[in-house]
Formats: sequence, C-alpha cells, structure tokens
Amino acid sequence: MNTAVHPDPQGSLIEDLKRGDSSAYKKAVREYSPGMLAVARFYLDYSSAEEIVQDCWVTVIDAIHKFEGRSGLKTWLHRIVANRCKNKLRSSKREVAIDFSESLEPELANRFNATGRWDLPPSLKFHESADTLMENDALSDCLDKHLSALPETQRSALMLYEAHQHKSEDVCNILDVSASNLRVLLHRARQKIFLMVETFQETGEC
Amino acid sequence: MLMCKDLAGIASDYIDGELTGRRNLSVKMHLMMCKHCRSFIGNLRASTDLMKAHSSSKPDGEFIRRIDERVAEALKTRKPRDGDNE
Ligand SMILES: [Zn+2]
Repeated sequence: MNTAVHPDPQGSLIEDLKRGDSSAYKKAVREYSPGMLAVARFYLDYSSAEEIVQDCWVTVIDAIHKFEGRSGLKTWLHRIVANRCKNKLRSSKREVAIDFSESLEPELANRFNATGRWDLPPSLKFHESADTLMENDALSDCLDKHLSALPETQRSALMLYEAHQHKSEDVCNILDVSASNLRVLLHRARQKIFLMVETFQETGEC
Repeated sequence: MLMCKDLAGIASDYIDGELTGRRNLSVKMHLMMCKHCRSFIGNLRASTDLMKAHSSSKPDGEFIRRIDERVAEALKTRKPRDGDNE
C-alpha cells in the first residue's frame, strides 16, 4: 500500500479519492461541485447541468486513478464536465448562443455624451471592504438575484475566472471560447454587477 | 485620443492587466486626467471583489446532498484497485 507522505493537502486528498475513501469524496464534492456546476451551466439548463455534475462524480470514482496531476484537480474536473456537456450538446445538435458583439452594456453606453465623455458619471462610493459589505443581507440578496439573472454564459465565465480563479487560458479551454470573447463575457458581467450595486447604493432598492 | 466611452469598453482588460504597450499607457494617461474614469475603474474593481466575496460563500445544500447520494451508491460497487487498503 501507498505510504508516501504528501506535503500538499491536495495530494493526499487525491490519494484518498483513489482509494475510494467516502469522507474524501464528501470533502471533494463540497469543494469542487459549485465550480463544476458553473461549467455545466454555461452549456446546459439547470436540471441537465445538475445531472451532468452528478454523473461526472460517478465517472470520477473510476477515472481518478488515471489522474496524473499534470493539471490541478479542479481543472481536471472542470474539463470532464465540459467534455460531457459538449457531447450532450452535440448529440442534441444544439449550440450555445452568445452575443459577443458589444463590450459595453447598453445601460452604461447610454451614460456618455456624443463626444464620448461621461454624461452620467459613476456615483458609487466604497467605504467598506467587500467582506464587510456582504454582511448586509439586503445587498447580498440583491447580488444573488442579479447573479442569477445574468446570462448563463456570462455568469459561468465570471464564476470560473473570479470565484474559482482559473487562468484565462483554462477558462477558454473549458468553455470553448476565444480569449477575446472571454474578455467580452467577463466585462459585460462585471458591468451588470457594477450597475446593480450602484442602483442599490443610490436607492436602497434592488 | 482615448475617450471615456472607449476606456469604459476596455476597463476590465485594464484591471486584469491584459492591456499592453501603447494601449495600456493611454489608459493610464486618461486616468490621470479624468476623475470619473478613475471612479469607474475603482467601482468596477470593487464590484468584482464584492462578487468574489459573495459567490465563494455557500453551495446549495440540496444539490450537494444529491451528489453525496449518487457517490455513496457508486462507491459501493466500485471495483477494487491495486494500492487500495485491504
Ligand atoms: Zn474619462
């Protein structure tokens, strides 16, 4: 049996997964499933996405022994999800429709005058850190609402890039978009979040 | 010359350090002169941090529970491998 000592905690988690240790699976499921769902949601509706993530975990049980650690575990899992989703789309002959044409949100584009200067400049003031602000339940709920109202493609790009801190090239790979299109998705999503927080701060309403 | 509207279009690229050379420089120059755009860049960055702080919080319990069930079921029928404990 394997008695190697792993200096990095992920290494020992992977060994435990390879042995089929159920508590290691519980831990990994909690850590990695939200990101896997974000990947699947890029391609599929919610219930299909959830199903794909479940199926992927079952696949992982038999596939983990092939994991060689060339990429991180997270990237490996995200790729498995992405490949499954792409296969599913292919077999149903559907495609992900994304609008990459404009990098400015229309609501923001309207705030400049004809010469391209600010007509209605940004009014947000941040006096507190993000973590302190998130203790405001109303703001947190509002953010939830707006995040779920984002187009799936923008939300997935944002989640993978920001919350799961993938490198751009990994996100492009997993979501099958070009680098410049990823930039558009990210920027559109961030503008929407900005506009939402601004409205919230000005009016106290979501 | 780079106008505010142009800058707003590439603000995320600037924040993420994706702009190079002359383009990056022209954004920097503009920001020195324009407080509205400084404010916009700051706002966009703060909004992004807020999103990050928010979404790293909680996975959906039901969703996780269903995966746990599927995994537990599949582990029962898992084929033993070399390197397993006895
Ligand atoms: Zn400006």
